[in-house]
Amino acid sequence: MQDTKRIMGVIEKKGVDFPKSLVNEIVDATKRHDLTGKELGKLLDEIKKAYERAKVEDGEAVGTVAAQSVGEPGTQMTMRTFHYAGVAELNVTLGLPRLIEIVDARKKISTPTMAIYFQEDYRTDEEFIRKIANKIGKITMKDILKDFNINYAEMNVVVELDDDKINDKRLEFDDIIKKIEKAFKRVQINKNILSFEPPTPNIRELRLLADKVRDLQISGVKNIGKVVISKEGEEWVIHTEGSNLGAVLKMKGIDRIRTTTNDIYEIERVLGIEAARNAIIKEAQSTMDEQGLTVDVRHIMLVADMMTADGSVKSIGRHGVSGEKASVLARASFEETGKHLLRASIRGEIDHLSGIIENIIIGQPIPLGTGSVGVIMKPRK
Amino acid sequence: MVKKLTRFERARIIGARALQLSMGAKPLVNVPESFDPIDIATLELKKGLIPLDIRK
Repeated sequence: MQDTKRIMGVIEKKGVDFPKSLVNEIVDATKRHDLTGKELGKLLDEIKKAYERAKVEDGEAVGTVAAQSVGEPGTQMTMRTFHYAGVAELNVTLGLPRLIEIVDARKKISTPTMAIYFQEDYRTDEEFIRKIANKIGKITMKDILKDFNINYAEMNVVVELDDDKINDKRLEFDDIIKKIEKAFKRVQINKNILSFEPPTPNIRELRLLADKVRDLQISGVKNIGKVVISKEGEEWVIHTEGSNLGAVLKMKGIDRIRTTTNDIYEIERVLGIEAARNAIIKEAQSTMDEQGLTVDVRHIMLVADMMTADGSVKSIGRHGVSGEKASVLARASFEETGKHLLRASIRGEIDHLSGIIENIIIGQPIPLGTGSVGVIMKPRK
Repeated sequence: MVKKLTRFERARIIGARALQLSMGAKPLVNVPESFDPIDIATLELKKGLIPLDIRK
């Protein structure tokens, strides 16, 4: 610990502003190799040089570079996958469709899924995890039935509950009965045998009732369907089909730091815009990684920053970033040219020609790279 | 000017100075074997003699 402080002190004295992860790396390396103060100083000088070199310069076309760096691997993705792949019994959208989903900032993604982690005291407690899993996952009547009969002579639906299944799912018998009584008015309960009667005795009503009984939800969190319990190393983790971050984070024993969802819009709603930015970065990068493609994070970070800089998640494209540009000419050159020009002329919009596209259109040097530098005469001394 | 010039700034200044030289400005260094205004401007920049500054 003291070592760490000392190293941090030396780094600070050098007057460089490294990111946290780099500082940690330096501290680790210093300890591993047991560096003396002088050696550390030399190391820091070298790192500083390399760090400065790696920075982008003013006027560099970072957007174009990012677009190409994400776009080129994207073409490879199209060739390899355009469908779903099963991961741990759950279907999760991967590859290009997923990447498009992220960039379009869809509100309803096609396969929302959560990874639920637990606090230290609970993460190895299988019994606790199973109980929680059944509280989160959707369980309907048909999951806990032993016998199901539609009696057309008596005009009722007779159902037998399965004690083994109820125990296996860690449910309370009384809770189930309460739920059933709340949902159905005309029900007779005799231990495990339940008989339901339709409001009016005809066959249509009876069949409808049968479906209703079968699909009555006994437990589960809204919007979450199937759950899969799996062991990752020492600890138990729950993966879900469907997602409801707000409700799950409120439950007892949940690790609120690591528990996450792949629904970016939901993250924005529950945790805020910075979390959404991180989620975009994480999701985009893991989608690329999944395909064995590596893209430098900084390109993805730029995309995520563009999408979230306004305080809400915007899509890239007509309805988001490109469609909200200040310049008429820039908007018109993207999509719906006529619409933008017409509106601008009606409203009397002014184009300040401060962007790149505008200046290309009117044939001027663009404010990028060499074009972003102005030259003035130096006053004579 | 303490801060190092970016490669864009360098290109812009050399370009502007080379234009001046090509239109007859007097070089502020001893002209080397090359008469190419860009070579001269580069040399001037290296010696810090160019009477131009950048404006962001």
